[in-house]
Amino acid sequence: MWRRFRRSRLALTALAYIAFMTFVAALAPLLANRKPLLAHGPSGWSFPAFADYVTADPDIDLPPRVETFALRAPIPYSPNSVDLPSRLDAPDRAHFFGTDDLGRDILARMIHGARVSLTVGFFATLIAVIVGSLLGAVAGYYGGFADWLVSRTIELVLCFPFLFLVLGIVALFKPSLYTIMIALGLTSWTHEARYVRGEFLRIRDIDFAQAARASGARDARIIFRHLLPNALAPVLVSASFGVAAAILTESALSFLGLGVPLPTASWGSILSAAHEHIDDAWWLVLFPGLAIFTTVASFNLVGERFRDALDPRSE
Amino acid sequence: MRAYLVRRLLYALLTFVGITIATFTLIHSVPGDPVTFYVGRVNVGSLSAQTLAAIRHEFHLDEPLPRQYLRWLRGAVTLDFGRSIQDRRPVRERILEKLPNTFELNFLAFLLAAGLGIPIGLWSAAHSGRLAERASAVGFFLIYSLPSFWVALLLIECFAVRYEILPLLGRVSDDYFELSASAQLADRMRHLVLPVLTLAYAQLAIFARFSKSALTEVIRQDFITAARAKGAGTAAVLWHHALRNALIPLITLLGITIPYLLSGSVIVEQIFQWDGIGLLYYDSILMRDYPTVMGLTVMTAIVTLFASLFADVLYAFADPRVRLGEEAMP
Repeated sequence: MWRRFRRSRLALTALAYIAFMTFVAALAPLLANRKPLLAHGPSGWSFPAFADYVTADPDIDLPPRVETFALRAPIPYSPNSVDLPSRLDAPDRAHFFGTDDLGRDILARMIHGARVSLTVGFFATLIAVIVGSLLGAVAGYYGGFADWLVSRTIELVLCFPFLFLVLGIVALFKPSLYTIMIALGLTSWTHEARYVRGEFLRIRDIDFAQAARASGARDARIIFRHLLPNALAPVLVSASFGVAAAILTESALSFLGLGVPLPTASWGSILSAAHEHIDDAWWLVLFPGLAIFTTVASFNLVGERFRDALDPRSE
Repeated sequence: MRAYLVRRLLYALLTFVGITIATFTLIHSVPGDPVTFYVGRVNVGSLSAQTLAAIRHEFHLDEPLPRQYLRWLRGAVTLDFGRSIQDRRPVRERILEKLPNTFELNFLAFLLAAGLGIPIGLWSAAHSGRLAERASAVGFFLIYSLPSFWVALLLIECFAVRYEILPLLGRVSDDYFELSASAQLADRMRHLVLPVLTLAYAQLAIFARFSKSALTEVIRQDFITAARAKGAGTAAVLWHHALRNALIPLITLLGITIPYLLSGSVIVEQIFQWDGIGLLYYDSILMRDYPTVMGLTVMTAIVTLFASLFADVLYAFADPRVRLGEEAMP
């Protein structure tokens, strides 16, 4: 299957792009930070930028310390360092992607925004995969009333227009990174549940499952050890689409002002500022939008090619 | 057929009860005193015990939860969701007056998406493997990944800001009532273009992909091979044998599209300040106007429920296997 997947150059590019974005997100405090990576000051050598991994920059409003030597981050701006004199600067050599209405560097904000997007994307999907697989497995394995109940629940969840439900939950329980992840996870498990249910219905009575049952294995063991691994591939496909959808929804929430609270940078919230300055700052529109689009497209593309690779009927 | 209809209706009824229970549970799991839910963001601590008790009694908050739920359900059945916290008007009235505006937008977007998407999808399934088909497949794929609010901003940037040929926002111009009848119509059309485009493009991609895979699925089946074997030409096979069977699954899209469109309305109406239920929902959330939020949540869910019920019944008419065979997957 991996061999079939590898044949698609487009999908490989997408996979590489996802790896690159993950890398950027993981190293964000080192890539874009107003504090140096390595500094020599009156108190000796230190690694100021690394401190951001422990706590968010506490003295963002203070002037930088005096150092005799400093190794700067590639983008020497923190995502939240306000610089009013250079507000709404067009892209130039100092700010590659320009600045926003508070003079904050857009590239720095986008690098840190990647963290929000990918964190929400991965963890929301993880919740969805866990909930969906469990419910789908129970429904497919036991059938009968359990199946009926899970099927009705799926029907119920699908009745709510997705964004209405997510917006409602997030707003009622105060927007934060965690609320968003949980709200997205608990509303988007239906695909995974259906796939796992379908797969379980197909394989629950195949020889190896019956053999396991005959040898006295308990239900839980059969489900987790024998059946679930076989249903994993379609779940991974659906998870890939799920990450794309979660990133899209998170950015929509941030765009509407109900995402991760400000001033935390997120791709959607930069676009929301772009809306206010639509007539004088094209760079605010272009770059974060491109980031969302390319990331979402990559996850969708990987999911699509992965699904094709699984389908024995496609050439 | 009747047995199927009855069963389907019973399920719909059950789902309706589920919707109301889910919504009611959501209301009551909101942190904070439920009094704030009904009277708005007041400092509960500043009210005297007497006033508080009076409020609780007025909104029946002193009753046990099941009683409260039944009371609320009785209202919900007649679409009575209480009064808005913002202007004290009945929630039902506020929703109903915005509904036509949203319907206008969604209906046009639906027509555009289906009218363009389905033919394109069928065309590309019939021409499977050619370069143009592959290019269009990738194209639709990319379109599907575009965030709608970004597309809206790009459209605004291009057509409303740079070239100023279309209005920036709103449903009508400021001088709408001074225009002649034909100029009024033209004005409304001009305001519709960008929101409808924004709402329609993602649906268009979904329609195209769905109809493409539906036709491809049919073409793979034995009876198509048989028709070819008996000597029917490619066009005849597609037209007479494949197409009719491929169009049936499209019925299910009806049930799927409506919640999508409604979700999209929230974003599109907010960007274009289109005075519909999406904007109402957004504003109500910002104002913490819970009765309106809950009323809209229940109402949009019910609309979706009816749409999928309608689609299922239609499907059962078109395809006897559904009503005779095993219960379809949800």
